[in-house]
Amino acid sequence: MHFAPLPYLDPGSGSFLIQLAIAALLGLGVAFRASWSKIKGWFGVKPKPTEDDDESENE
Amino acid sequence: MTNQKTNSGGLPASFRDPSGFLFSRGGVLYRQVNRAYEGDYTRLMESGLYERLVKAGFLIPHVEANQVEAESEAAFKVIQPERVPFISYPYEWSFGQLKSAALATLTIQKRALKADMSLKDASAYNMQFVRGKAMLIDTLSFEMYQEGQPWVAYKQFCQHFLAPLALTALRDVRLSQLLRVYIDGVPLDLASELLPTKTRLNFGLLTHIHVHAGAQKKYAGEEVKSRGGTMSRQAMTGLIESLESTIQKLDWTPRGTEWGNYYDITNYSDAAFEHKKQLVGEWSARLKPALTWDLGANNGEFSRVAGANSEFVVSFDIDPAAVEQNYRQMKNDKTENLLPLLLDLTNPSPAIGWANRERDSFGGRGPADLVLALAVIHHLAISNNVPLPQLADFFAETTKWLVIEFVPKQDSQVQKLLASRKDIFPSYTREGFEAAFAERFAIREAVEIRESERVLYLMERK
Repeated sequence: MHFAPLPYLDPGSGSFLIQLAIAALLGLGVAFRASWSKIKGWFGVKPKPTEDDDESENE
Repeated sequence: MTNQKTNSGGLPASFRDPSGFLFSRGGVLYRQVNRAYEGDYTRLMESGLYERLVKAGFLIPHVEANQVEAESEAAFKVIQPERVPFISYPYEWSFGQLKSAALATLTIQKRALKADMSLKDASAYNMQFVRGKAMLIDTLSFEMYQEGQPWVAYKQFCQHFLAPLALTALRDVRLSQLLRVYIDGVPLDLASELLPTKTRLNFGLLTHIHVHAGAQKKYAGEEVKSRGGTMSRQAMTGLIESLESTIQKLDWTPRGTEWGNYYDITNYSDAAFEHKKQLVGEWSARLKPALTWDLGANNGEFSRVAGANSEFVVSFDIDPAAVEQNYRQMKNDKTENLLPLLLDLTNPSPAIGWANRERDSFGGRGPADLVLALAVIHHLAISNNVPLPQLADFFAETTKWLVIEFVPKQDSQVQKLLASRKDIFPSYTREGFEAAFAERFAIREAVEIRESERVLYLMERK
């Protein structure tokens, strides 16, 4: 795989590879959560607003 | 920050990133944006991301300084960021401050992703406390996000934030000082070794520190290109959210100290305490200092008194519990002109990094207009054996105005310090103190504090 453009800081080979593995796993969780809330939506359950709203202020 | 210029024109803390650099001209701080960064800068400004982050208090505001001549030919633009009132470093922050900076970094990354941008670095040094909030001060940290790309700043984030937070929360709060030695964050193999074994049962710490450290060792020096795999946007979101929830669960509440009752353990009567407050209030109102440093500030009670009359107060203490309490209180009160910091006055922050010029020393960030040194002189003169003339020199280099409390030998706090050692301080008397300080300062006021044997002085540097 080609990572372009190359970053100005060395992200570290091990850090890069382990990140891909961890993130793939965690991404499944995000996907599952999304589908689950969709299924719940069919039954009229409103999703909890867990997602960052892009506006809330820094505390 | 040190205003010493380098040959290349930039300030010495700002040389790594080819996107641009900081420079100072006529006492004003500017950031040159290089042409190489034009696309990313334009995206940041035109996508609305800049505006949203500034409005929510996550990013330092700037104005484009079109009239200012650039430092080099590589320039695309010159911007003038809002000046940070006092630059501080992660090894000077309490647990809660580092945690706030970490969570702010992750929120910025999440919001950047929504605008198809991503943070290309996640350095704790890019975060500063402005108006009481941890803010990103490096406007050039954003780059365009390309789906499939992993987060290039993942390693740096784990080293700068996650590892020291986990170590201080779960092992020992003093380990925050590792950041003073390791300028690019705590090496993950070291963090993994120092963390309690039970942290392997915590999914976030297991993966982002222990397994991460193992992978770094295993794949050290290997070329990444040879191995396949891309990272979906969903996977990136999962990664950021996992870091966020791991950090949110970390907490440090001081043990072994009278949490919340600091002043109950002093030998002060209420009348003495109030008298001291009244004097600090009156004198600071008379001086109206821009920058006040409260040295040995405890939980910041007197910093707040001086803060009512100062533009900005930095509240230093050696005790991580006191600094933490001070920070929680200022967050609670939404105080904007106070910064609690951890500092050992007998060994203040040195200048560190490349050529010892990347991160400034304690003294290099001064002098202050007013220093408060309340109930601190006996710790320096007696516990640390610093001769009075040297103390006077130190304070004269640190401030123009000095409010200093002399605590005589007969005071019970000093008696405690002398209980198990020889009294080798014949000149530690009110007269000896005044004589030593009169060499460097003009004594403007000397008031005996009610119901105590202590004296409060207002001095002006000669």
